[in-house]
Amino acid sequence: MVKQSLFVALLTAIGMLVSAEEIRPPLAVEPTGIIETLPGRYPADWFLVHDAAFFHMSDGKVVVLDTTKDSVGEQVQGMFPVSLMGTFIEAQSRGEIFAVETFHTRGTRGHRIDVLTIWDTVNLSAVAEVILPVGKRFMGMPERVALQLMNGDRWLAIFNLSPSTTVTLVDLEARAVMGEVPIPGCSFIYANGDMGLSALCADGRMLTVVLNDDGSEKSRVMSEVFFDSDESPIFERPAVVDNIAYFPAFDGRVQPVAMTGSAALPMASWPLYGSGEETWAPSGIGIDGEDDLGRIYFLMNAEANGVDGMHNAGGSEIWVFDPEARRRVLRIPLEAWGLSLAVSRGEEPKVLVTNPTDMSVELYDGLTGSFIKNITGFGQETPLLLRGAQ
Amino acid sequence: MMSFIDRLLEQRARSAAQQAPRRGMLKALGGVLVGASTLPLLPVARAAGPDVASRPQETGSDTDCDYWRYCAIDGFLCSCCGGSANSCPPGTEMSPVTWIGTCHNPADGRNYVISYNDCCGKPGCGACLCQRDEGDRPPYRPDKTNDINWCLGTSSAAYHCSAAVVVGVAFEE
Repeated sequence: MVKQSLFVALLTAIGMLVSAEEIRPPLAVEPTGIIETLPGRYPADWFLVHDAAFFHMSDGKVVVLDTTKDSVGEQVQGMFPVSLMGTFIEAQSRGEIFAVETFHTRGTRGHRIDVLTIWDTVNLSAVAEVILPVGKRFMGMPERVALQLMNGDRWLAIFNLSPSTTVTLVDLEARAVMGEVPIPGCSFIYANGDMGLSALCADGRMLTVVLNDDGSEKSRVMSEVFFDSDESPIFERPAVVDNIAYFPAFDGRVQPVAMTGSAALPMASWPLYGSGEETWAPSGIGIDGEDDLGRIYFLMNAEANGVDGMHNAGGSEIWVFDPEARRRVLRIPLEAWGLSLAVSRGEEPKVLVTNPTDMSVELYDGLTGSFIKNITGFGQETPLLLRGAQ
Repeated sequence: MMSFIDRLLEQRARSAAQQAPRRGMLKALGGVLVGASTLPLLPVARAAGPDVASRPQETGSDTDCDYWRYCAIDGFLCSCCGGSANSCPPGTEMSPVTWIGTCHNPADGRNYVISYNDCCGKPGCGACLCQRDEGDRPPYRPDKTNDINWCLGTSSAAYHCSAAVVVGVAFEE
């Protein structure tokens, strides 16, 4: 009798479940082929994380990361490739990202192709390409100064090192190479006015070339010698505020250079360290940045000053300066270690830092210096260079 | 080629070592070594010992990042990739354009100019990543930089590993 009652109760329960399932509507049939898009201007807290894929360089990529979110599914907004130690720059005014990369027809062998790939920022689609002179473009650790926009973002200047040094000029409207500017003995491209470019020279000077509307050369001038590339080298990566490039030096000083639009004028250098801090010096890969408040940031190493071979090691703190006052306004102690940094735009800057001990990235508040979060597991392996969204 | 992970690990290890009780001794030893490298060399006196022929001309393992030739290297050691300290692995192509370093050979007390030739044409070896930046300069000094891909003048730009070839005795300044 008891068994019969249980059996009836079980049947009743199953019946109720079945009824409930019949009442709940099934999932709607979904369309296929949906592709997400991104906003026309990426929000201030988005960063472009360049993973150079050091162990398999043909697979370099840039991940678009929303650092306000707390799960990987929300943080990763998209990705585009930058093959074989490529370089890239975002042109917000054009809604485009320019990536210089290299391919071989058989992977690591075969015919070589150097190409400027143009991505649109909304779809992250390759919308155009410009074939570049083969075997010339700079190929190495990611650099922010290997590409430079000019002439109202209508031209792109591309640094070449083969190892002779030149600049390839690309007309972004025509999607065509305009020509090549020789910069013998000098390297990289620093914006100098809208029609000028400067380059850092092995002999301790800066070259400035100003171009005409047709891309031909209007003027060429060398600065005075202001550093010794053997004895007192500066890093090639400046923080830039109000047309002054602040080059950190191996010896813990900073060398400002005024970009006048027609020349590069070295100014008086000053130490980043204070009394009792003489062992500190900048160190790392992407070692500096600037914010919209006019402050400059340097990744600092407590043991690097005067120690040969320590300049790429990274550091344990970020120091923030008011460059006009030559005054440090903030120290940001890192959770573990830093290799590269980038600063977001806006009045409330955030600092994203590569932590090389586990190759994650960490977010810090640029106003208070407080640690906000660690971001990892987004497919990164070697995020060597970071850029804030423009 | 540039690498970074070993350098960071080494940096962390150095920091830890410097905080250990041996700190004073290690620092003193380091000072002696650095000082020795800057002193004028006396090869005649060094070679005058009775057992000179039996001494090894080089000591250490060429698969070890601390090997003397690697003082300015940055990349995967070819000796871990099927090559050796001065040769490329099979089927790769040695770059004819290089960066150089000046390294001290503790076995004979001489400083040597080392040519760091990248081996090219295959994917990154991935073994024995080693970064020692002694004398390294930013790429505006191409002759002294390990931050660029030196697979220049080769049929392929793909970086595989780095060799360290002795190309001469360094002149003293």
